[in-house]
Amino acid sequence: MKVARAYEWSFAAAGARRALSLAGLVMALSFAGFGAMLRALHLPLWPGLLSTIFVWALPGQVVMVEGLAAGLPLPLVAAAVTLTAVRLMPMVVLVLARARLPGASAWPAWWAAHYIAATVWIVSDMHLDAVPRPGRLPWVIGLGTALLTGMVAATATGYLLAGRLPVALAATLVLFTPAFFFIALLDGARHRADWLAIAAGALAGPALRIVWPGFDMLLAGLGGGTLAFLIGRLGRGRAGR
Amino acid sequence: MTTIPTTTFLLALALAVPATAVWRLLGALLARRIDADGVALQWVRAVAVALVAALVANIIVHPAGFLAATTLAERLTAMMAGTVIWAVSRRVELAVLLAAVVFFGLQTLW
Repeated sequence: MKVARAYEWSFAAAGARRALSLAGLVMALSFAGFGAMLRALHLPLWPGLLSTIFVWALPGQVVMVEGLAAGLPLPLVAAAVTLTAVRLMPMVVLVLARARLPGASAWPAWWAAHYIAATVWIVSDMHLDAVPRPGRLPWVIGLGTALLTGMVAATATGYLLAGRLPVALAATLVLFTPAFFFIALLDGARHRADWLAIAAGALAGPALRIVWPGFDMLLAGLGGGTLAFLIGRLGRGRAGR
Repeated sequence: MTTIPTTTFLLALALAVPATAVWRLLGALLARRIDADGVALQWVRAVAVALVAALVANIIVHPAGFLAATTLAERLTAMMAGTVIWAVSRRVELAVLLAAVVFFGLQTLW
């Protein structure tokens, strides 16, 4: 009998359909905000669209554009961008560890890795269990391709609509992002370490922003996450005895 | 305001793309070596969760852009409302939507 060592691409369609969800809508609001920001800084739209396609990580895109607007030297802009992108590494590991088929061809994993950022990680975490293993990576690629296409449109829409929304509404649209991420984290929490990691990150992040801006997210993630992991293991060890 | 030349924007982009991709590449390489059910992945997960939690908390506590025009009390009330609604209903969509409604209401009706 033949062992499944090939991906089942029919699952890409199901992944693409997941883009039409609250997660996709929230993401579109953020990218529209980025488009509006380009307009406000008198930057042209098309390199901004290229950044949506090829950087595909909003905090990095925002930092790049802000750095340009502030007249920072380009190596410094690149350093700031790479600092925001370190967070992508654990997310890529988490998604690919569950989605890739060992022994199958490697290129789909490289392709999928490009799509992985906070939203794709969280949506995958919610739904990947229900997808059979050979279909998982195609599912992620379908989701990512659909989201990326939508976000190019959202960036352009935000650029065109910039400055036409009342402030209270614009602020509400921005709030969707933290509200969605926070509640999705709560909803996805399964172990004690998850809960501890949410609390530790949420408390340490804002404090570290004051002490060491630029490194706050990384430190809060590494420090808070490690602490949560260790305490979670301690508790489990005791319960096992 | 001085306009930024498009070539400068494109140069920055040419640096930003590999500066971002390198971490995804490292993640993809690491994923080939890590056990999907192992302890190491549990640690990676805790780090990723804490990272996103820190990102969220920073948007609320140290806001930029449009959110900076609102008060911390408004932002925290909306987030807490969303959390309570989620805790009761366990429905993410409903909770996020109502958090936004509460936030909009606080700004316009208060």
